[in-house]
Amino acid sequence: MNPRLVGTLVQKDLAVFFRNRLFAMITILGIIAYLVIYSVMPGTIDYTLEIGLYSPVSIPAFEELDQEGLEFVTAPTEEQLRQAVIDGRFIAGISLPADVMARLLAGERPGITVFFAADVTPEMRDAVAMVIQELGHIVTGQTLDIEVSEEVLGLDLGGMPLPPRDRLRPLLAVMLIMVETMGLATLISSELERRTINALLVTPATVADVFIAKGIAGISLAFGQAALFMAIVGGLDKQPLVVLTTLFLGALLVIAAGFLIGAVAKDMLSVLAWSIPVIIILLIPSIAVAFPGSVAGWVEALPSYYLVDTIHRASNFGAGWSDVWQNLIMLLGFVVVLAWVGVVVLRRRMQ
Amino acid sequence: MNQAITAEELTYYYNSLLAVDHISFSVAEGEILGFLGPNGAGKTTTVKILTGQLRPKGGRAYLLGMDVSRNVEKVQGQIGICFEVTNLYEQMTAIENLKLFARLFGVHPFDADALLERVGLVGRGKDRVETYSKGMKQRLMVARSILNRPMVLFLDEPTAGLDPTSSEAIRKIILEERERGATVFLTTHDMLEADKLSDRIAFMNQGKIVALDTPHNLKQKHGKRALKAKVLTTNGELEDREVVMDGPETPQAVQELFSREKVVTIHSEEATLEDVFINITGRALVE
Repeated sequence: MNPRLVGTLVQKDLAVFFRNRLFAMITILGIIAYLVIYSVMPGTIDYTLEIGLYSPVSIPAFEELDQEGLEFVTAPTEEQLRQAVIDGRFIAGISLPADVMARLLAGERPGITVFFAADVTPEMRDAVAMVIQELGHIVTGQTLDIEVSEEVLGLDLGGMPLPPRDRLRPLLAVMLIMVETMGLATLISSELERRTINALLVTPATVADVFIAKGIAGISLAFGQAALFMAIVGGLDKQPLVVLTTLFLGALLVIAAGFLIGAVAKDMLSVLAWSIPVIIILLIPSIAVAFPGSVAGWVEALPSYYLVDTIHRASNFGAGWSDVWQNLIMLLGFVVVLAWVGVVVLRRRMQ
Repeated sequence: MNQAITAEELTYYYNSLLAVDHISFSVAEGEILGFLGPNGAGKTTTVKILTGQLRPKGGRAYLLGMDVSRNVEKVQGQIGICFEVTNLYEQMTAIENLKLFARLFGVHPFDADALLERVGLVGRGKDRVETYSKGMKQRLMVARSILNRPMVLFLDEPTAGLDPTSSEAIRKIILEERERGATVFLTTHDMLEADKLSDRIAFMNQGKIVALDTPHNLKQKHGKRALKAKVLTTNGELEDREVVMDGPETPQAVQELFSREKVVTIHSEEATLEDVFINITGRALVE
């Protein structure tokens, strides 16, 4: 690699990128639009409580508990109840033992397990305990003597409720990163389509120089925007290094996707045709974080899950390296595999 | 005289298609070689091998004494290429395009304006290339190919589809580059251009070099000269007559033409490179 040549090529790529009015607009207006969206989102919390319930015996009185702001959803097994709480679909999950009714009626003290989502506040836990009492009261007509054991699933983030706009923040940051997939893919695709790459490759610049320059240009755009956005909206207040590292890996992920799309696309239209579905798919995990319960557990199969989940945990709850290292390893793994495939495909196309 | 380009048994195939079939030739320093052949003859593949864009499947290519496959970067620092297809950064200005490549070649100091003046684009350097006409873009391509003062210049159809003014400007630059000492490898379909500019001509057909000589010798060896006459017939119409020159029966045929026919116009016509190519290969250069 020749740093002088790579520097020259990066300058060229950025110049060409910003000469494309569409991408220049997306880049500049994108940040502004997301900042506006963030600022107009409510800064307070308005929960409708969804509580999961696993009960091996049928208790008709449960249906009477549904009221405004509270909704009970039955889970078929305790394992599914736990998973639903981990996925954020329920704020809490109540697991009743099979003999709960018999023991209550016999005047004994049954044990009830309550699973809580990681970010449920102590107040919310108290509220759920009250709901259980209410449930017992409806069933038995008297105050219950029960033993409630609480289990927090995942990192205990209790006491840190999230306003909607902070919950949305990872989504917006990841959107800023993802959109650059399109920008980089267009840079690569137009270089191939217009055969300017041929002119570059008969200068002292090598294929590696061109790849590295494209990578640096893409990372600058994707990472730069997302980091700027997070800095402005306070996303770097907690664990800035973890958040920045994650954003950087996210930018690498985008570069890899951009290489792949740029290599297979024939022109700008096909770049759009390839990019939009890829971006939508990669954004699904962000939606899962912004709107808990909206997406099932399969999102973990998507590389962007580890990106958005880490940003969410680190920027919203201050999760440190020890809490997110597994996510980062997974993300890095996806980046390496995708980048390898992208470079191989692009190299074949260039030849 | 030193050889600027030497090809030894160069071979290249795309899967099972043999594109370049064991060709050998050399081009002397300061020489202009016209490289002619129909589409698909293997010209572009040969140029790609000579410029290090492709690695030959067989044989060796040497540029300025260096094995191209082993010294790609060094070789590419010494050559200039003007591609057949316009491949400029159209969103950038002409000056930005030239400065980009000057930096890549490490040309310092670099005077973009002087180069633009040389190719007749003075005053348009700050305009985006997307606003240029085809002729202007081609002239800029030529400017880009010579900005590093290459020792070997590869030009692929540099005047194709251009107006006479642009074509003439480019031909002038080719001759100037030769004067400077550069070797020029000129790929073209334009017979007249090749005839006018080239010291030697190589004909390529189906992956092989089928003839390589000076334009004069090629025409001498493979073409035929003729007298072309228009005669007035008894019913008042003009008809063409042709007498092949350089044959034993030529004096007799000329005498008969003048004694039997009423000759209105007459002129001699030399064989063209197109005729020579057809004579050698049985097919036209532009099909």
